[in-house]
Amino acid sequence: MSTESNGKNERLKHINFGGVSRREFLKTTMKAGVVVASSEYMLNPSQSMVQQVAMKSGAEEFVFAYISDSHLLARGKEHRFARALTKAVEDVNAMKPQPDFILYGGDLAQLGLRDEFSLGKEIIAPLKPKLYMMVGEHDWYYDMGEAWKEFFGKPTCSFDHKGVHFVVLNSILVEDYWSEKKMTPMERMLFMAQLDNPRGRPFTVGEEQRKWLKEDLAGVGRGTPVVVFSHSPLYKYYRPWNFWTDDAEEVQALLAPFKSVTVIHGHTHQVLTNKIKNVVFHGMLSTAWPWPYAPEGIPRLTVQMDRADPFNQFDGTGWGTAAVTARGKIDKTYNLWDRNPMVVSYEKLLTVKEQVAGPSY
Amino acid sequence: MGIPYKIFLCFCLCLATLPYAAKAEDSSVDNASNDLRQSREKAVQVVTACDGRKKVIVEGCQEGEAMPEQKARKVAELLMTLMEFCEDEIIAKLPKTGMFIQLSVNGMPYVTVGDTEEIPLILVHGGKAHTEREKKIWAAEMNRMITEGYALFHSPGLGKNGISCDMCHPDASNTHPETYPKYQTQMNKAVLLRDMINWCIENPMEGDKLAEDDQKMKAVEAYIISARAGKKLEPGKH
Amino acid sequence: MTRTHREERGNLMQRVMEMMIHCFMVYCIFCFLQPAAFPQPEGDSYVLSLPPGVLEPVIPENNPLTKEKIALGRNLYFDKRLSADDTISCATCHDPQKGFADGRTVAVGIKGQKGPRNSPTVLNAAFFDTQFWDGRALTLEDQAKQPIVNPKEMGMPSHDALVEKISNIPGYRTSFKTVFGTDKITIDHIVTAIASFERTLISFNAPFDRFIAGKNDAISDSAQRGWKLFQGKARCITCHEFNRSYPFFTNNKFHNVGVAMKGEDFGSLARKAASSGADPSLLAQEEASAELGRYLVTKEPKDIGAFKTSGLRNIALTAPYMHDGSELTLESVIEFYNKGGVSNPNLDGGIRPLNLTEDEKKDLVEFMKSLTSDDLPESGATVK
Repeated sequence: MSTESNGKNERLKHINFGGVSRREFLKTTMKAGVVVASSEYMLNPSQSMVQQVAMKSGAEEFVFAYISDSHLLARGKEHRFARALTKAVEDVNAMKPQPDFILYGGDLAQLGLRDEFSLGKEIIAPLKPKLYMMVGEHDWYYDMGEAWKEFFGKPTCSFDHKGVHFVVLNSILVEDYWSEKKMTPMERMLFMAQLDNPRGRPFTVGEEQRKWLKEDLAGVGRGTPVVVFSHSPLYKYYRPWNFWTDDAEEVQALLAPFKSVTVIHGHTHQVLTNKIKNVVFHGMLSTAWPWPYAPEGIPRLTVQMDRADPFNQFDGTGWGTAAVTARGKIDKTYNLWDRNPMVVSYEKLLTVKEQVAGPSY
Repeated sequence: MGIPYKIFLCFCLCLATLPYAAKAEDSSVDNASNDLRQSREKAVQVVTACDGRKKVIVEGCQEGEAMPEQKARKVAELLMTLMEFCEDEIIAKLPKTGMFIQLSVNGMPYVTVGDTEEIPLILVHGGKAHTEREKKIWAAEMNRMITEGYALFHSPGLGKNGISCDMCHPDASNTHPETYPKYQTQMNKAVLLRDMINWCIENPMEGDKLAEDDQKMKAVEAYIISARAGKKLEPGKH
Repeated sequence: MTRTHREERGNLMQRVMEMMIHCFMVYCIFCFLQPAAFPQPEGDSYVLSLPPGVLEPVIPENNPLTKEKIALGRNLYFDKRLSADDTISCATCHDPQKGFADGRTVAVGIKGQKGPRNSPTVLNAAFFDTQFWDGRALTLEDQAKQPIVNPKEMGMPSHDALVEKISNIPGYRTSFKTVFGTDKITIDHIVTAIASFERTLISFNAPFDRFIAGKNDAISDSAQRGWKLFQGKARCITCHEFNRSYPFFTNNKFHNVGVAMKGEDFGSLARKAASSGADPSLLAQEEASAELGRYLVTKEPKDIGAFKTSGLRNIALTAPYMHDGSELTLESVIEFYNKGGVSNPNLDGGIRPLNLTEDEKKDLVEFMKSLTSDDLPESGATVK
């Protein structure tokens, strides 16, 4: 509910190449950290500069894409959320070259129903590269993950790709409050689905998974870059909206010995950047709608996106890519539909001192 | 209203009390006036506001004696509260110690109030405090309206595509009811909060808009306004 | 006494001198502050007649409206000698008899050449933030410069060539001298005069204006239903902005509604455009690259295939529609939006299927027909 936001002025402006070579331009902009709209960056955001350079610089560098938080309702392919996911799938399929793999970041469904999963599976079927599915609370709490697991397999796994160790967690576990209250499955689902639920329970990774993670990481060399996919942020941002992982410190401790760790998380539906000790955290965009920034606790590294125009369903939503550098660091691109793309490079995170001002909510 | 102003007012009030002694002789003979008549006998000082209709009897303070600063402030605050509120004749008794003030409106019997903030409530009710029953009813009915709005705000029932208000506005964030009326670019005109609610129902939520006097509309407004009460307003950002 | 007298006289002389010096200084400052573009000799100033409450259009400080300049601009506007082969005037494509457009799909210039885009109306153009479908000109003066040297439009080899041609026409020499006080005509003189004339081409007084002013029966019931739909279900008013201050039905912004995306590979087109570093006004002449729209100006990916929101006043007079003239009737425009535009990777997120009924579509068309003014300017002018 906004008139034209003054924040628009703060949006980073198009950078003209002038006489600078593309390579130099990239170097500069990567140092500048947040880059918007290179002239080369066209309809097909895969051809972003970040990616092109990454592809040129060495065998170990690669790009993966993400799509997240589509919140599908079983209302057919013409429903706005289904149209948005379709758009993301088309965008990723148009990437040249194709990403090494795709992460789906959780909350494919809105109410954890089979019809929602089957619609989602149909829409994402055309994706060509390998797809890793992660679970979100909207996928889980109708039947405690039963249908999701049937559709997409195990919610927790790890794999290695081009020298990087990837971990996929189910980080939306909460303590059982429903048995005592004799909630029906749908009551439980709706209870979890409400972001501003004052009686909501905080997410956890849980003891069992932390134990699994410890064992999984035991075989990984300290110098190996580690990338963790988690639906919840794996840190503590804003408790009233469950932008929060209650055992975040324990999980972070397991990741502490590693030289290069990046967490890519869903759930927050916004451009969000954080760094705690050795761990860098990047949020993923939702294809469905943007959440407002929380009234407090916004990590200081975050360059906040402007409020979206509710007339425009593609404003403040989108998908993105991550370019893994030779050093195992990640340069994250937010492909905001109907805005220019934003790149948050690892280099930039090292140089930011002040909180970046943004809109208030 | 800054402190210098209050001190100035104190000074004016002190001046205003000078002709008091003569006036007091003419007062009628109800309880409050008796108090005034006795004022010279007891250790009290009477301070009259410039409208001549509001008086404070300050106990434990001799006529002509300079009041301690804190006391003077209290007297000034009391008189200002009384003057701001009504035109009636009011006599207030300020005890030597303790916080209870006694008020007599238009010669009615004294009522006791705990603080100057309670005074308006006492005055509207003709000198009677609200009962606990009244207060409970009011709170319950207000909360019922807000709760009804909360439920509508948090369910997809207002729209037709499964989307609910809270999806974009958790805790009614980004609604800014205090900024209306304002120009909304979606409608390209100046609108009220209810117009924006209806716009959201029709557009992102693809539903049918509510009549402006629909109880549901009022309830949603009630929730939004109550949820946002006291939130910081930053002009230019909303 | 005498001495005193003399002193007083001396003082008086001194004061007169001082006064003269002051006057001279003020005159110097005044001259200095005069708009720098050209010396502007006196002319009868012209005041636009606007309905109460409508925001004044921005008129450049160095181009105040005068009756003489408007008359000169009018002559230039209708003069085919502004084109290379004396066949095309401004009015050829912006014809007063055709709502100041041309009724064609795309503009036709000298030697029958077709341009890539539909001619927009000049009516009320003074109120728009930018000119051209891609907004590449910020003023009417800037706008007027471009078709003159566009090889597909008026086809003059250069602005200098036009200046020379105009300078050799005796009638113009006199009127330029009267208006601008100089014998040396420049391209800026020519376009400021044309722009001044164009600023007078404003039109209100449509039935809808009377309806808004409170006359309920000024438009049909169907049109009234259409107006409600326009503001509600049909989602028009967000871009086709209307309010009493700015009643022109445009938000002056650029949107990709899918008109441009007709099976072309816009990604590669855009890359080509970006790397060539070419002038947008040149790219806009090419059929393929012209479809990139606003992107040509901003080079921002979000603007690929985005075109300016058209105003809707007198829209019934200016068929066909869209930047490429691809929709022939108002009915087909409504149909276009009803199905949610044309899907493409850069489709504006505000465009979605509208589920309008047949009656609702008719009502919207009726509403748009109520936007035609009763008293269009230059109604007597004919274009030969």
